[in-house]
Amino acid sequence: MSVLHADKVSVAFAGLKALAEVDLTVSSGQILGLIGPNGAGKTTLVNVLTGFQAPTSGAVLLDGAPLTGLKPHQLRRRGIARTFQGGRLFKDLPVLDNLEVTGVGLGQSRRSAIAEAEAMLDWIGIADLAPRIAGTLPYTDERRVAIGRALMGKPAFLLLDEPAAGMSAQESRDLAALIRRIAADMGCGVLLIEHNVGLVLDLCHDIVVLDSGAVIETGDPAAIRASEKVRHAYMGTAAETDLPILEAGLEVAE
Amino acid sequence: MGASVIRRTIATPVFLSLLLVAFAVTAWAVGSRPFNQTIIDIFLQVIFVVGLWIFVGNSGVISFGHIAFACLGGYVAAWTTIKPMMKGNAMPGLPDWLMGMEIPFWAAAGLGAFWAALWALIFGLVLMRLSGIAASIATFAMLAMVNSIYSNWESVTAATSSVVGIPIVRTVWPYLIAAVLAVFVAWAFAISRHGLALRAARDEPTAAAASGVNISRMRLIAFVISAAVMGMGGTLYAHSIGVVTPDTFYLGLTFTTLSMLVVGGMGSLSGAVIGVLILSSLIQVLRWLEAGVQVGASTFALPGGVQEIALGVVMILILMFRPAGIMGNSELNLPNRRSDKAGQPAPTRVL
Repeated sequence: MSVLHADKVSVAFAGLKALAEVDLTVSSGQILGLIGPNGAGKTTLVNVLTGFQAPTSGAVLLDGAPLTGLKPHQLRRRGIARTFQGGRLFKDLPVLDNLEVTGVGLGQSRRSAIAEAEAMLDWIGIADLAPRIAGTLPYTDERRVAIGRALMGKPAFLLLDEPAAGMSAQESRDLAALIRRIAADMGCGVLLIEHNVGLVLDLCHDIVVLDSGAVIETGDPAAIRASEKVRHAYMGTAAETDLPILEAGLEVAE
Repeated sequence: MGASVIRRTIATPVFLSLLLVAFAVTAWAVGSRPFNQTIIDIFLQVIFVVGLWIFVGNSGVISFGHIAFACLGGYVAAWTTIKPMMKGNAMPGLPDWLMGMEIPFWAAAGLGAFWAALWALIFGLVLMRLSGIAASIATFAMLAMVNSIYSNWESVTAATSSVVGIPIVRTVWPYLIAAVLAVFVAWAFAISRHGLALRAARDEPTAAAASGVNISRMRLIAFVISAAVMGMGGTLYAHSIGVVTPDTFYLGLTFTTLSMLVVGGMGSLSGAVIGVLILSSLIQVLRWLEAGVQVGASTFALPGGVQEIALGVVMILILMFRPAGIMGNSELNLPNRRSDKAGQPAPTRVL
C-alpha cells in the first residue's frame, strides 16, 4: 500500500498563482479524479507530482517522505508514472520500442525490456500494433500506447492527463475498462485528469475539483454531482436544473 | 530478443566495413603512393565522422568541439612515440617517464583514445547539463580552449611549432582496421540500451524523462565513447603525416568533418560513412582534374580552386533538397521482408 500526497502545493509563475495550497492524496488501487475548467491548474499539478515543475511552496510526499528536488526520471524510477496530453510518443520508433525505452530507462537490459513490452502490449490488447511506427498511429491507439509505455516496470502510481480527449463514446468506455483494470489488477493508484466528467464520475472513487488553482470541492461522485460550487465553476452560474454535463457518458465542451 | 536486435541490424556495420575494405583493396591494387595516402586520409576522415556521429547522431546535439579530442589524441602520438632524444629538444617540459616512453603506434592510438575519453568525461560533466544551442556553443568553447592550451604550453606541446619525428605509418591496413573498429563501436553503442534511450530523448526529451531516462547521463556516455574514437583518430592522423601542430586539429578539420556528416545524414551510421566516401571521392576526382587529364593530344585541366567551390555547391544543394542528408534516417541493411513478425521494427528505422 502506497500513498502519494500533495501537501499544500502552491505554484506561482511570475507572481501569478497557478496553484494555491492544493492538497490531494492518491492511494494504491484507487482511482482519483481531477476535474476543473480549462486553466484550473490540473496539468500544473501533474507536473508538480512528477517533478517537471518545482512547487513554489508545499511538498509532494511519497509514503510520507518528501520528494523535493528530485528530477522527473528519478520520480519515475520511484514508481510515479504519467502520460501527456497529445501522447508525446517517440514517433519515429516502433510501438514496441516506445515501451522498451521506459524499460531501459528504468535500468532493464534491452532483452528484458522487450519481453516486458510485449507482455504489456498483450495485456492492454494491442499486441498487433508492436511493429507499427508510433507516428503513424491513429489518435486512440496513440493514447493506449502511451498508457502502456507509462505502465512499464509496474509503477505504483499512474497520472493520466486527459486520456479520453477526442474519443468516441465507445472508445471512452474501452478506456474506462482499461483504467479499472490498471487500478484493480495492477494495484496502481490512478490520478485521472479528464474533461469528460461523465467518465470521471463513472470511474473514480473520489474526485477533486480545481478552479483557478484552488481545490473547491472534494468527495465521492454523488457529492460532486450534487455540489453547487462545481456547477458554478463549470457554468459560471448556479443553474436550477440538473446540468447535462453531470450525466454519465456525455462529453463536456471545452 | 536482445540477440535478435543484433541479428537484424548487424548487416549495417558489415556492409559499411565491406565498403571500406573495397577502398583499401583498391589502394593496394593501384599501388601508387599518393593514391595510398588518399585512401588513408579517407579512413581517418571516416573515423572522425563516425566518432562525431556517435554523439551527434544519437543525442541530436550538434558538437563543434569534437576535433579537440582528435587534438588530444594527436599529441599523445607526439608524447609517446617520438624518439626520446628528439622529444627532449621539442618538448623539454615533459615528465621523465613520458620523455623516455617510446611505444608502438597502435598502443599510442589506444592511449590517445583513453586520454581523449578522460577529458570528455571531465568536460562532459559540465557540458552535458546544457542542451540545444547552448550545449553546441559550449562545445565550441571547449575546442577553442584546447586549441589555446596546446598553442601556448610551449614546454609540453612546442606551442604552435610543428612537432616532427612521429613515426610515419604508410600502409593502409592499420587505418582500415581502425575505421572498421570505429564503425562497430558506433553500431554497438547505437543498439545498446543507452543508444536507444538517447535517441528517444533526442526526439521527445520530456517523454523520455518521464520514462525514467536520465538524459544528461546518457549524453555523457555517448560523449565519452565518441571522444575515445576521435582520440584514436587523432593519434593515427599524427602517424599518417608524422607531424602535429595545434592548428592541424582546429577549424578546418572541424568544418570538413561536420560537412561530411551533414551531407551523409546525421540520422544514420550509414550516412556518416557514406558522406565521407562520397565527398572524399569527389574531392579526389576534382584534384585530378585540376592537375590535368590527357585527352587525346591535348590536356584538359580545371582551374585551381574549383574543388572548394564544387564542395560548397554540393553542400548547399544537399541542405536545400535533402536536409536530412543523403541517407536520411535509413541504414544500409538487408532487403525488407514485408512479413516481419510482430516485434520487428520497420527496416528503415535507425538500428
